[in-house]
Amino acid sequence: MAEADEIIHQQTRLKIMATLRAIPAGEWMEFTRLKAILRATDGNLGSHISTLESAGYITVNKDFVGKKPRTRVALTRSGRKAFAQHVEFLRTILEAATPAQRQ
Amino acid sequence: MVLSPQDAAGALRDIEAAQARSAQLHGYARSSPQLLLWGVLWVIGYGLQDLFPAHAGAIWGAIVPIGLIAGFAALRGAGREAGWRYGAVAMTLVAFFAAAFFVLWPVSPRQSAALIPLVIATGYVIIGIWRGPRFVITGVAVAALTLAGFILLKQHFSLWMAGVGGASLILAGIWLKRV
Repeated sequence: MAEADEIIHQQTRLKIMATLRAIPAGEWMEFTRLKAILRATDGNLGSHISTLESAGYITVNKDFVGKKPRTRVALTRSGRKAFAQHVEFLRTILEAATPAQRQ
Repeated sequence: MVLSPQDAAGALRDIEAAQARSAQLHGYARSSPQLLLWGVLWVIGYGLQDLFPAHAGAIWGAIVPIGLIAGFAALRGAGREAGWRYGAVAMTLVAFFAAAFFVLWPVSPRQSAALIPLVIATGYVIIGIWRGPRFVITGVAVAALTLAGFILLKQHFSLWMAGVGGASLILAGIWLKRV
């Protein structure tokens, strides 16, 4: 049986993982774009990105485009796997519940 | 970690919503360079056609291959599958317009200058029905502007398409890039 992932389950981190999971593997998303999509603040998003990076679920790349700094993030392979397992865990809970419990 | 079924259902709804939004915005962003490219090419192509109407065939005979090659290059990073799909769509459109002009011939330069954008606009509306409202709005806007110019302008319709049609594609390209 799949297990819960407490790092991923936090609401903002769950949305970060889901947002990154929806783009093709190997593609990066710019921090500013992710921030706009999630309507998050720099500090809040940065903190959750650090947590996910420490867990090895996402990788962060910092570079320059011309003179402008750019930060990009992407899911790692283990991040994809952990996210899939967490989604499976959530589905397992729902499948085991009665219709009344799902409301 | 103990989660209630309600918590699990809520989390799955959040995941689904985030993934749908992310995928839609990704599709928009992927399409943005193509609209910017063809917007610029419409400005150049229709602008030249207005100046040299007798050479419309030669102008578009040069513009279209340039656009297809540049459009293919703009797919860099989108994977091999996107490459062959782009090629297949391009060949389908070229074949369609060749067949359509064959059936409808004789077609005036003004009619062909309207027909092609109308078909492209229809394509955007159809894509948008599946992939998101920004494509629908872009298609409707291009079609409406094309028809407006065709109805209202007896002369310099190409200039209208260069300015208004090209600009609308460029603006749509910028809009698609935005979150």
